[in-house]
Parts: sequence; C-alpha cells; structure tokens
Amino acid sequence: MSTPSELPPDPAQADEATRIPLKIEDWLTVIVMALLALITFANVLVRYLTNQSFAWTEEFSIFLMIVLALVAGSASVARNRQIRIEYFADSGPPARRRALARFGALMVFLLFALMAVLSSRIVWDQYRYEETSPGIGVPMWWYTIWLPVMSVAIAGRALGLYVRRGRQP
Amino acid sequence: MIPTLLFVAFLALMLLGVPIGAALGLAGAVAIALANADAQWFGLLAVPQNFYAGLGKYPLLAIPMFVLVGSIFDRSGVALRLVNFAVAIVGRGPGMLPLVAIVVAMFLGGISGSGPANAAAVGAVMIAAMSRAGYPPAYSASVVGAAAATDILIPPSVAFIVYSVLVPGASVPALFAAGMIPGVLAGLALILPTVWLARKHSMGALEASLPRPPFWRSLRDATWGLFAPVLILGGMRAGWFTPTEAAVVAVFYGLFVGMVVHRTIRVRDLFVILRESGELSAVILLVVSLAGIFAFSLSTLGVIDPVTDAIVNSGLGEYGVLALLILLLITVGMFLDGVSIFLIFVPLLWPIVQHYNWDPVWFGVILTLKVALGQFTPPLAVNLMVSCRIAGVRMEETVRWVGWMLVSMFMVMVAVIVWPQLALWLPHTLGY
Repeated sequence: MSTPSELPPDPAQADEATRIPLKIEDWLTVIVMALLALITFANVLVRYLTNQSFAWTEEFSIFLMIVLALVAGSASVARNRQIRIEYFADSGPPARRRALARFGALMVFLLFALMAVLSSRIVWDQYRYEETSPGIGVPMWWYTIWLPVMSVAIAGRALGLYVRRGRQP
Repeated sequence: MIPTLLFVAFLALMLLGVPIGAALGLAGAVAIALANADAQWFGLLAVPQNFYAGLGKYPLLAIPMFVLVGSIFDRSGVALRLVNFAVAIVGRGPGMLPLVAIVVAMFLGGISGSGPANAAAVGAVMIAAMSRAGYPPAYSASVVGAAAATDILIPPSVAFIVYSVLVPGASVPALFAAGMIPGVLAGLALILPTVWLARKHSMGALEASLPRPPFWRSLRDATWGLFAPVLILGGMRAGWFTPTEAAVVAVFYGLFVGMVVHRTIRVRDLFVILRESGELSAVILLVVSLAGIFAFSLSTLGVIDPVTDAIVNSGLGEYGVLALLILLLITVGMFLDGVSIFLIFVPLLWPIVQHYNWDPVWFGVILTLKVALGQFTPPLAVNLMVSCRIAGVRMEETVRWVGWMLVSMFMVMVAVIVWPQLALWLPHTLGY
C-alpha cells in the first residue's frame, strides 16, 4: 500500500513560515480577482441596460490582469508552485533535491532581478518622455511602474525560498 | 551557434527543475544579449517589453475568469446533484457508476475550462461513491483523471484561449465550436474501455444493491447545474457575451447557486476561492508572458525558418511530418503540461502548419487532443495527480487501467486527423 509521503503534495497544505507575511500578496490577489470579475460583470449589465459600454474598462482590466499575474505570481514563487518538470528534480537523494530546489529559486531570482533593472529603465523613459496610454490617456508609467516594483517582490520571494531550502534538514 | 546555445540552455534549465517560465525567460534573455552584443544594454530592453506585451492581451482575461468558474463550481454542490440525476437515468449495475463519472465530467467540461478543476469536482463526489460500490480506488482515480481530460476539448477551454492568442487565424468561438464534437467523441471513447474493464474484472458488484435516486426529484435538484452550460455556451453562441464575459456571468451564476440555492459556499470561502484561483491563473499567466520573451528571441535569431526547411524537405511527406510531430509531442507531453507545450511549440510549428496549409483551427484541436491525452499519461499527468490524491493511491497503480483509456482516446485523435470535418464541420455550420 502507499504511504502518505509518496502521494503527490496537497495544495491545501499549510504554508511554510515566511519573514514577510504572504497575507500581503493573498489579500491583493483576492481584491484584484474580485475587481476583475465585478468590472467585467458591470460592463455586461451596463451594456444591456443602456446600450453603452465603458471604453476604459478594457485597458484597466488588462492592467489588473498584469497586476494579478505579478502579485499572485509572487505568492506562487514563495509557495514554490510554479510549473516545472519535477521528474528529475524531485527524485534522488535529499541533498540533490535540495540543491536543485535552491538552484531553481536562484534562477527565478536572477530573472526577476534582471527584469526589475530593465523595466525600471523603461518606466524612466516613459516618465521622461511623458508617454500616455492609448485608451484612457493617463501617463503610461502609472501602469508600468508596477512591473519593477513587483519584480523586486518576486525576486525577494525567490531569495526567501532559496534561504529556506538551504535551512531544510 | 547562438540558437543551439538557446535550446541547450533552455533544455538544461528545464530538466534541472527550474520553473518553466524562468527557463524560458532566462534562455530568451541570454540569446537576445548574445545576438545584440553591440547594442545599447545588449538589446535587453526587449525583455520587459515582451513580458508586458505577452500579457497585455484582452482575450487572456478569460483565463483567470474561467479558472474562477471552475473553482466556484467545484464547491457549488452541482457535481453531486448531476451525479444523482445521471444515476437516476442509467440506473444501477456493473459499470454504470464509472459511466456516470465520465458523463458528468463531460457535462462539467461545458462549465469549467481546466482539466484539474474538473478532476477535483468529479473526484470529490465519484471516488468515494465508487469505492462504496466496490470499485478499486486506482481504477476510480484512472476513470476520473481520464474523464476530466475531455474538459479542455469541450468548450469553454483554457487551452483553446491560449492557442487562439498564439495563432492569429483561429478565433476563440471557432475553436470552442471545433472542440465540441471531438470532445464528445473522446468521452464516448473513454466509456467503452471503462465499462468493459468493469465487467471483465467484475468490479462494482455492490453497485446493484445501492438505492436508485427518484427521477423527478433528482431532475429538479440538478436543474441549476444543467442550466449552467446552456447559459455559458448559449450566451456566447447568441452573441450576448464575449468568452470573457461568459466566464464572468458564469462566476456570478455559480456563486448564486452555491451560496443561495445549494448553500455549500459560505462568505468566508470566497477568500479561499479567489486566492486559489488567482494564484493558479498567475502561474499560467506568468508562463504565457515569459514565453513571449522566448518567442521574441526565436524570431529575432531567425532559428525557425532553417528548422522548418529541414523538416519540410526531409522527404517524409505531409502525413509523415504530422506523425513525427505527434510522436514528438507525446514524448514531450510526458514531462510538460499543456499550456507550456502550446507556448513553446506553437511558434516553432507555425511555419510548418502554413507550409502544408493546415487549417489552424483543426491543428489547434489536434494539439489540444494531444494535450488532453498528456493530462492522464503518467508520470506527469496533472489530472491523475488530482484524482490520485483524492483516492489516496500512487500514480503507478493506475497504469494498468489508464493504458486502455489512452489507446481509446488516441483513436479519436487519429479519427480527427483522418476526417478533419469532425472538428471543422460545427464551426463552419455556425459561421465562425
């Protein structure tokens, strides 16, 4: 018969303790998801009641979706739930598994640290040249500033995972 | 030199268990930097630009919303009532409960857009019921995992949304319509080996002694669930909603059914539902956006055309190439999930599709059928992971059952390849 340890991990299992509470990302995720659903639903209702639609909702919804990907993505990095090939990384002796888990976390850190630097440069350009968004006409950097900010957060979460995997027995 | 490096780096990172998104993004960034060694900042400013552009597409918004629909209907109590209704129709007998599991999974496929959510909803109800009736847990887990794979073929489907974002010539409504007939055929194809195995091994002997629910009462209870796909698919067909809006309407319908009618969702559950579906969507969306960087590096390096030429001029012929592609995808599919397969391979295969003038919608259905097969092919089978967890068995134990179902569904894929009209007739008739 099978033992519980051989079963696939349960997503509902308790979170590992993190220095910065995951509640921050979780609450933001919940708020953004709820907003996305409410805005789109309101758009449907308004269109049927008044034959008009808010043109600004599309641009704002896309922005919210990008925020969702980054914010909830940050939580998923901390919980180590990214899609990856577990076949080789999750088998073999514990030392190898731990080393590969740390390597994976380090690569995520590297990518998002790079992303933070590069996207800061883009936001700076958009600020300098006063670019405005095509739909609503607000400054572009209002939208894009969240890419470097959240990239730093994701890189931090990856670093946290790297440290925690290092401490594991 | 650089293209080879791109692929070797990407493969090595993936096999070492680095998250797919990070592997795609890093390999892409390194290739861009090497190709633009003289440019300002090594041309790397394209990295965040492509990240942002890969994500900033309105159709993608349907993904978090359909994931949310799946999560809500998972808890809405609809699955249990549909099962009771189905049992009331087909009655009790050997092989009937697995049949009900498949039919209900197909039906829920018309509400939710992702296989694992479907496996969770059906598994939660059916696996316990099947073990009470005397079916071995490994068999039940195989049936549920395989049946839930029809979900991504039967509209709505997250896989089709991702494909349509990647391929300009295939609209979401056309893909949804094209998946309908192959999806139903796949479900029917699963019923055959399932019932045959149940009879052959005389499983579920206790089933005949269980009570049969009364027909009219179970029909009344199931009405709310039965109406959901009518609302989603009918609303899209009638032009009332876009796919994204249909998903949102389904979200509120599901919340109403779960919170007011069946009272299985409490207010405090909303936090968990929104958080989990948000996180799952983000995992998918991050891979989508990071794959944008990889695709950009492929196109700037000009890797695709030489590879296409080599394949097209290999003398294999149209069907030889198609067979080779399917063999490749089946191998890859044992390790990679469906969305990642689409994101990595569709940009690579697209010139081949154009060379042979394959219909993009038909090709999308073939790829999705292949991904559906991958969802219950061990060792990396997302649906089986979910159903095995519910049944408390290891995936290795399902191999002896799942093989028959794989062969049966594979035949459906062959049929769609041989008769493309199985996929294309419905979208043409509906005028998409």
